[in-house]
Amino acid sequence: MEFKKETLSNGLTIIGELNKSAKSAAVGFFARTGSRDETSQINGVSHFLEHMVFKGTEKLNAFEVNEAFDKTGAHFNASTSEENTIFYAAVLPEYLTEVTRLWIELMRPALRDEDFKIEKDVIKEEIAMYKDMPSFDVMDKCRNFYFNGHPCGNSVLGSAESIDNLTAEQMRDYFLTRYVPNNMVVVCAGDFDWDQIRSIVANACGQWQKQHAERELKHYKGSKKQKRIEIANLVREHICLMSPAVSAQDNRRFAASLLGAIIGDDVGSRFFWELVDKALAEIATMIFGAMDGTGLFCSYIRCSSENVSEVQDVISAIFRSVSEKGVAEDELIKAKNKLLSALVIKNELPMGRLVDMGFNWQYLKRYRTIEEDVSAIKAVTVDDIHLLLKEFNPGDFTQLSMGPPQ
Amino acid sequence: MPERFDKYILKNGMVLLGEPMGSVGSVAFRFMLPAGAAQLPDGCCGAGNVITDWIFRGAGDRNSRALCDALDGLGLHRAGSVASSHIIIAAALEAGNLAQALDLYADIILQPSLAEEQFELARKLAVDAVHALDDDPRHKVMLKLTEQFYPEPLGRNTAGEIEELQALTAEKTKQIIKAKFNLSETIFSVAGKYDFDAICRQMEGLFETDSQQSLEAIALGEKAGLYTHIHNDSAQVHIGLGTETVRPADEDYYNARVAVSVLSGGMSARLFTEVREKRGLCYAIGAKYHGLKDAAGIMCYAGTTPQKAQETLDVITAEFNRLTDRISEEEVQRAKVGLKSSLILQSESSSSRAGGIATDYYMLGRLRGLDEIKSKIEETTADSVLEFLRNNRFEDFTVVTIGPKKISVNR
Repeated sequence: MEFKKETLSNGLTIIGELNKSAKSAAVGFFARTGSRDETSQINGVSHFLEHMVFKGTEKLNAFEVNEAFDKTGAHFNASTSEENTIFYAAVLPEYLTEVTRLWIELMRPALRDEDFKIEKDVIKEEIAMYKDMPSFDVMDKCRNFYFNGHPCGNSVLGSAESIDNLTAEQMRDYFLTRYVPNNMVVVCAGDFDWDQIRSIVANACGQWQKQHAERELKHYKGSKKQKRIEIANLVREHICLMSPAVSAQDNRRFAASLLGAIIGDDVGSRFFWELVDKALAEIATMIFGAMDGTGLFCSYIRCSSENVSEVQDVISAIFRSVSEKGVAEDELIKAKNKLLSALVIKNELPMGRLVDMGFNWQYLKRYRTIEEDVSAIKAVTVDDIHLLLKEFNPGDFTQLSMGPPQ
Repeated sequence: MPERFDKYILKNGMVLLGEPMGSVGSVAFRFMLPAGAAQLPDGCCGAGNVITDWIFRGAGDRNSRALCDALDGLGLHRAGSVASSHIIIAAALEAGNLAQALDLYADIILQPSLAEEQFELARKLAVDAVHALDDDPRHKVMLKLTEQFYPEPLGRNTAGEIEELQALTAEKTKQIIKAKFNLSETIFSVAGKYDFDAICRQMEGLFETDSQQSLEAIALGEKAGLYTHIHNDSAQVHIGLGTETVRPADEDYYNARVAVSVLSGGMSARLFTEVREKRGLCYAIGAKYHGLKDAAGIMCYAGTTPQKAQETLDVITAEFNRLTDRISEEEVQRAKVGLKSSLILQSESSSSRAGGIATDYYMLGRLRGLDEIKSKIEETTADSVLEFLRNNRFEDFTVVTIGPKKISVNR
């Protein structure tokens, strides 16, 4: 593996990791922008803009964009979160330059009124689709409830109302301030020619204008409130818990991931043995979510209405026990083994590597090898986990539940 | 590295397959046990889900927790599912731990503890999973579509039926395991970094038994209904639509795959263009080839708000029908590039290769190399696809909807 990097004078960074034994190559554009960078007037604009990027440029209409991607056989997509918008494609190496040129062009979209109007309907369908996925909906609502006015609680999709009120003009303004070179990174992984990709990006993007693109970073410890929402057509209870944790920049993030796995991995964790193995809940997981300047532990539990109070008691007991008695050495070793093998398997694919490289760059402004991450995970001790628990007690959670009327 | 497959058959008939991958440090393996939903005795729908849980609750001399600890200690990632024909038990892990993992899986398959009290828990979780489908209409509609589309028992609901799960006993389930975990008809596959000779010696030691009797052929019944609506006050109407096509072993298989790609292979394909790009009717819209050994179909899903549901179904069926009229060479070209590219991108993942070779062997009785598949895809033309479609029209649709509003299905 060989790492390459160049930063253009306008602040656009290009990074690449060469792996000549790969059969494919992946390229991605990462923009440091998402729903936390929106005001309530334009809530949902980051995600809507991600859709609009595919609607074409001054030269290409949406149909031509789709054909251009499909001609390369690319596996391509895009996604928007609270703080990142990413566009990526995996292709056979011979198509990499073509698909890179296409992404570059699309990063300067036309944002036409007529496309905006029809895509608004698609966005509203997407909002409706997620309403029918309570496991997603409960987390989205809980995040909003947890952050209680902090921008990280802004919904990525927005609401049908905020999308209805959004104008193409507001989107164009947002685009001009966020998709700026100093707020983006271009990432390449797999089998590719660095000099070629570097020069394509430098020539085409060198003229993009640098602009001030800041983000307010403020740690937040959660509202610690509790709420239940009744929804007529639900049959199960969907419970989401969120509590504060370290940020993506904090070196304790590996310990936090391991703690998440010890408490809530889908098999072999404390949640698994106390809730799933005993058939009190059919799903019970906890993960650590690293964010820019903040972070959280997020749990999702699904069970029958009859089991809710017992499930709540068990969860409280697990959090109390972890917080008071700590974790055992063998729990930590198992969690490490699972995390390490997942990391290695994911990074065997150029696409998996691209995602880790891009996020490391966005959060840390540096390249990390897989070996560095492996070493960091291996180095975590039981004491590290206990120190983390002293500062971040998962029992101090905000809770939002959704279920049938009682 | 030139492509190579490994194959070895134990004396009892169990097939061992392998595909080495030069550049990876991981290994993935899977067992295809002939105990899928269609193989189960009548009245035991859902037993597959109980079995895949129960056999992990202790095996050999390990109790449930010791077994789980041993698997976790290897950093092993488990995957399991119940298909129409097989129960699939799969795993991925770092290559160095493979031998220990195979020892554990031999215990899970051959010597599961099957304790009575653990059965109740496994069954309760299976019942809960069926209830939970009501909160996941998108998943449920496709399970119901499979059930309605294929002749009985091929499309049986793999999640199960509540009443049948409640009537299931530990004794009955043990009998199913004994009868259906038939090693003579089991396929094992491995892909990634491994030593095939070492695996064969180890597997002989673990799985060599007397030959077991062949499973009885399944008698196929009738298809169920043509249109089924399940009421739910959901935000969208979830539409599942299926139509028959040729099986994986058919000589027209690649023409069918290209036809489905023209319809729904990428964002420039017809369904995405007509339903989403031009009309904004849906966010999620797509159709896929779905092949069993004895029957195959094209399965389409769309989710849309109630007032747009009828138009969505009408546009989808019109696109299925219109396919027979005209297909351009450019469309076929894009479909071919997409299919070939997917093939190679999937070949980088050890899990997907272990799955690919096991499924190929079951469906075709042999393994297909990348070169063979590429050249078969390359041989298709707009003319060959159109000729195939004229002889195999997409015209009879099975439709299932879940949502607040019924729609009308024209025939």
